Amino acid sequence: MTDGPLIVQSDKTLLLEIDHEAAAACRRAIAPFAELERAPEHVHTYRLTPLGLWNARAAGHDAEQVVAVLLEYSRYPVPHSLLVDVAETMARYGRLQLLSHPVHGLVLHALDRAVLEEVLRSRRTAGLLGTRLDDDDVVVHPSERGHLKQVLLKLGWPVEDLAGYVDGEAHPIELDETGWSLRPYQRQAVESFWHGGSGVVVLPCGAGKTLVGAGAMAQSQTTTLILVTNTVSARQWRDELLRRTSLTEDEIGEYSGARKEIRPVTIATYQVLTTRRKGVYTHLELLDARDWGLILYDEVHLLPAPIFRMTADLQARRRLGLTATLVREDGREDEVFSLIGPKRFDAPWKDIEAQGYIAPADCVEVRLTLPDGDRLAYATAEPEDKYRLAASAAGKNRVVEQLVARHPDDQVLVIGQYLDQLELLADHLDAPLITGATTVRERERLFAAFRTGEVTRLVVSKVANFSVDLPEAAVAIQVSGSFGSRQEEAQRLGRIMRPKADGRTAHFYAVVSRDTVDQEFAAHRQRFLAEQGYAYRIIDAEDLVAG
Amino acid sequence: MATFTQHLRARGEDGLAALLAARPDLASPPPASVRSLAARVANRGSVERALATVDAGVLTVLEAVLALDGVAGAPDPSGVPLPRLAHATGGDLDTTARAVDQALGLALLWTEPDAPRTGGRSATPSSTLVHPAPGLEDALGPYPAGLGPRLVATLARRAPQALEGLTADVGAPEPDAAVTTVEALAAHLADPETAQRLLADAPPGARAVLDALAWGPPVGRSPAAGNDQGPGRAAVEWLLRHGLLAVGDPQHVVLPREVALALRAGRTHREPPLAPSPHGRSTPLATVDAESARAAEDAVRLVAATVAAWGAEPPPVLRAGGLGSRELRRLAARLDVTDAVAALVVEVAGSAGLVAEDGEDPPSFAPTTSADDWLRLELPERWEALVEAWLASERAPWLVGTRDERGGLRAALDPETRRPWAPRLRRTVLEVLAAAGTESLPAGLAAEEVHDVLRWRSPRSAPPLHAVEAVLTEAGLLGILGAGATSTAARALVVGHADGGTGHPGGGDGHAVAGAHPGGGDGGPGADPGPARTPAAALAGQLPPPVDEVLLQGDLTGIVPGRPSPALADVLERMAHVESRGAGLTVRFTEASIRSALDLGRTAEDLLAELSRHARTGVPQPLEYLVLDVARRHGRVRIGVASSYLRAEDPALLAGLVEDRSLRALGLVRLAPTVIAAQAPPVALLAALRERGLAPVTEDATGTVVVAAPDVHRVRAPRGQRRAQPGTAARQAPSAEEARDRRLRRVAKDLLRADQAENAVIARGGTQGPDGTGDGDGPDGGTGSGTPDPVLALALLREAAAEGREVWLEIVGPAGTTTRRRVRPLRVDEGRVRAVDAEREAELTVAVHRIAGVAPA
Repeated sequence: MTDGPLIVQSDKTLLLEIDHEAAAACRRAIAPFAELERAPEHVHTYRLTPLGLWNARAAGHDAEQVVAVLLEYSRYPVPHSLLVDVAETMARYGRLQLLSHPVHGLVLHALDRAVLEEVLRSRRTAGLLGTRLDDDDVVVHPSERGHLKQVLLKLGWPVEDLAGYVDGEAHPIELDETGWSLRPYQRQAVESFWHGGSGVVVLPCGAGKTLVGAGAMAQSQTTTLILVTNTVSARQWRDELLRRTSLTEDEIGEYSGARKEIRPVTIATYQVLTTRRKGVYTHLELLDARDWGLILYDEVHLLPAPIFRMTADLQARRRLGLTATLVREDGREDEVFSLIGPKRFDAPWKDIEAQGYIAPADCVEVRLTLPDGDRLAYATAEPEDKYRLAASAAGKNRVVEQLVARHPDDQVLVIGQYLDQLELLADHLDAPLITGATTVRERERLFAAFRTGEVTRLVVSKVANFSVDLPEAAVAIQVSGSFGSRQEEAQRLGRIMRPKADGRTAHFYAVVSRDTVDQEFAAHRQRFLAEQGYAYRIIDAEDLVAG
Repeated sequence: MATFTQHLRARGEDGLAALLAARPDLASPPPASVRSLAARVANRGSVERALATVDAGVLTVLEAVLALDGVAGAPDPSGVPLPRLAHATGGDLDTTARAVDQALGLALLWTEPDAPRTGGRSATPSSTLVHPAPGLEDALGPYPAGLGPRLVATLARRAPQALEGLTADVGAPEPDAAVTTVEALAAHLADPETAQRLLADAPPGARAVLDALAWGPPVGRSPAAGNDQGPGRAAVEWLLRHGLLAVGDPQHVVLPREVALALRAGRTHREPPLAPSPHGRSTPLATVDAESARAAEDAVRLVAATVAAWGAEPPPVLRAGGLGSRELRRLAARLDVTDAVAALVVEVAGSAGLVAEDGEDPPSFAPTTSADDWLRLELPERWEALVEAWLASERAPWLVGTRDERGGLRAALDPETRRPWAPRLRRTVLEVLAAAGTESLPAGLAAEEVHDVLRWRSPRSAPPLHAVEAVLTEAGLLGILGAGATSTAARALVVGHADGGTGHPGGGDGHAVAGAHPGGGDGGPGADPGPARTPAAALAGQLPPPVDEVLLQGDLTGIVPGRPSPALADVLERMAHVESRGAGLTVRFTEASIRSALDLGRTAEDLLAELSRHARTGVPQPLEYLVLDVARRHGRVRIGVASSYLRAEDPALLAGLVEDRSLRALGLVRLAPTVIAAQAPPVALLAALRERGLAPVTEDATGTVVVAAPDVHRVRAPRGQRRAQPGTAARQAPSAEEARDRRLRRVAKDLLRADQAENAVIARGGTQGPDGTGDGDGPDGGTGSGTPDPVLALALLREAAAEGREVWLEIVGPAGTTTRRRVRPLRVDEGRVRAVDAEREAELTVAVHRIAGVAPA
């Protein structure tokens, strides 16, 4: 029995005691194959999953290394069955390979004939494979490359895709590193991605994922299609690329509801791609409009199902996914793995915060006791109305006022779900309001004003959840959210985590009605952040005046 | 030549007691005399039971003895000398002698009474002739080792003229006066040289026919008569003509035993049976011990949780007995395990006497009073109690959820879900595993490997493979095995049982094989002379040191970096629910978990104090807030017990009642100005208030809420299931064994005394000894002096059949009348006796149950 920092549980979770002197070394050693599940203050929980182990295989680690790491750092004897399971799971990756055959094109090549037989007999592979060339090789219909990878993953025999990529149309792109430079972890992320071919880079909000994208483009030197969540985000990508790279305005096109430009670098929204008219995706041609050399997916964890299906057809092109979290509320992590690629790089929030690249944050939940009248109304409300009733309780307005008053010198964002509540708040605070109904031009104007400090208080709806770059925001007050969405909470926290010029701490407040579903949803949402190491303090609204 | 009965008698008191110990079924009920003992020994059921305990090596020797006994051409007319046996089986003399010794110990073989024999320790001298015990041939079948009937038997079926022709054909010497033609011919044909010489002139194919039959089965189909004139037919006819084949029945030919032996160069078996010694995959003891300890802890926890769950809410017993599958699933969900694991948990709890039917109507399963004793024990002792119970249990948890012959689902705790051989199987499986690898580097074996060893150990009663698999799985779940290999505690468990005597907890199942298994690598851990540790003590040594601190975190989880101490486990069990177990423990605090802790009567301050006592890094603010917040809301709605109530529109009517001292007996409590609850029943309340001058009326029952505190059910443990104090089983075992030995010795002594008395009576009466070497004078007419003991009667019939003697048979006719006939029994088999009535020249078959008595004629 060593005195290692790691406890290996039989249910495949790994508990890492971070105050242990060997904790940092252990973290580095297990990061390639174990998924970080929770990172609260004392003990981090990692989990061994088939996907994680296959990620490790894809990155060139083998089972012996994994087992050796577990044995080296484990405090207690490692469960035997777990070691066996690790070896068996990892051995499943790459028994089948996708190769590019000089004569037959794309072929599925088996290093283990029995596996190939099993796969061929499965009904799921019917129609994906062509003629059998010999005992070990089968022709794959090029159009089914992505689909086949998905199916093989589901069958538990993830294929190693060695068929390479089309070069794509060359286009010179350089990073313009005057007055700034890529941070070490960003550079590392770009290298890991490029080395791996395709895959996902996981970085916390505010850690500069856009720059990783730009770095990847500079590495690729090809035409690039960038898929983002919404138009505002598309504009921010464009601005950032103009500022950080050699690209000019003419080279960057926007393909959105408003504009349909196709340029060497085209930024498209998920929404426009998934628009259907009479059951047909009308903008699919974009994908083939140019010979793209690189496809970038922003916020992979939000990727809608139709995009997955389209991505299945893009397997010959390099793909880079960017996200703050691989947690998908719909549990489709395996599709991300098989269609976009394995995780190529990740860095936990606290690490990057410790390096000073994101601001430290103080998370506080303010509990508001509802007055008796509201409680009675809540108790008798229909279940479907309860959340709205609790979330938009009138008492919250006063709490928000008090919170805003606490930060007279900070840039404050007030974020909420319900428009009438937000309108009321905007009135109370005498602050501008941005909702889905606000025009893009108006939004951009207000965001710009906020950035310059002209406007110091902004009330926003969920349009500001993603990819709105507001570096100077230091305080966010959340009055209501999308029920219990974990990643929404993370995104909102991300809004205020850009490092501040003076190194100030950011503040994130969630105002919650006590003893209601609001409180329950808040607890669920906070779990993700708490697991990332951002523990909430809870205070009572009554104490706010005093504090 | 002596008889089997004489052999038994010659064993003496010690030898008989040893036999009774080795074959316990012979001793219950105690046989009346040596003759009835001999009868029981030869009883087919008893022989089968004894055969079930011998390994493949002994079985090979038994087959060889049976095959070689009385073959023509052997120097001894009956009995087989050891060197011959060794040669025939391909084993060495020592191994063979040990196997013979073992078989002698079980009275499956016997020797002449004057042959030197010293009861087990030293091997039988090589000059000794060994004989198959009566009943052995019945049990092993007509073709031992794939050898056909003896030449004497096949030749006897030929007509005298045919024999003369044969004698001429094969060039046998003319028989002299001492032997018959058949015997002379048989001796000649049995000589390997005869066969060689004859075959030199044989037509083509003859050799092939013999080779096909030589290693058995010895019966072949005759080439169809008539149309087939091919070489095959010619060869067979030639072989028949030369006595190298015999006609079995119109369609078949058989290869006589001696001819086959000649072809096999005197061997009965191609190769000596070798005990398999699987090596398995060895695992470091630290890993094995850690895993088994973890599983042990888990098993104990699951059983305790079951006791707790059933104590609060006893599940009903199915009408057919057992626990319904829905209840099992419910328990499985509650324990967060699979149905199969839940079945094992309840079965082990049942075997350990921790839960039982409560005997109520309708019946439920509830924890017993022993469960309370068990719960007071420390973890290792609790575990020992469970595994000892499991080891001794005839229950077959692996059958739960499978279908029985009638298609019904087998339920857990169903009285029918049992296998009498389960205890023996469990013990032997653990022994086999304990023998694999070394103590410091134990090895795990696959079920197939264990099964191979078991098949060698008792080829006649090898357990089904799936049962072996099930036992391995169960042993793993109970923490007896870790990573599939023997843990330190399991070794203590197995050694304890090996040292502590055979201790048959399962009852009448024969398991007592003296001496080491020949050639087997499974000498067992007998080499361990160290002081016997109890399994509990060994497990205590395996458990990692307990950790008394928990790391509480802002995400409302707590992590114990190791095995929690009982105090800490108790605190966490109460206040949080477990997210992950293993070397460490992860718990999560939720509103519900805190609430249930408060329900147990704790206050928020208690809970926080308990937590901070164990929290190395303090209680984080969110957790503290959670506890206080839940406590704030806890108990704001109150529930109470009342038998009746008073209500009135006008508070003035009720004023003063609660304070009135004369009404104190009613137990009045004011709930509101217009409502008073009372502990007294409505009738008493009514009477008291009327007396006081009020005019109350009773309301009908709607709306009255009677809340009863949940009862905790307990029943007495059924007899025999009460749990012994841990460790006492092992400590008491030697004395139990002594008691058994004393008892068996007494039985043996009684036997011999009865035997002497019987012989004295027979001698006085002028009849011949029961060993019947001469003709008796008939029995005194009609009084039925023959033995009415059916077992003894059968033995007499068997002996008479073997020796060709006649007996008096009393037969009960269909009308109930008894007739006596003097017959020569031919065969006793399958509940029928075939016999020849010499006087009436008739063969008769009598069902055994119609035989009222048998006496030597």
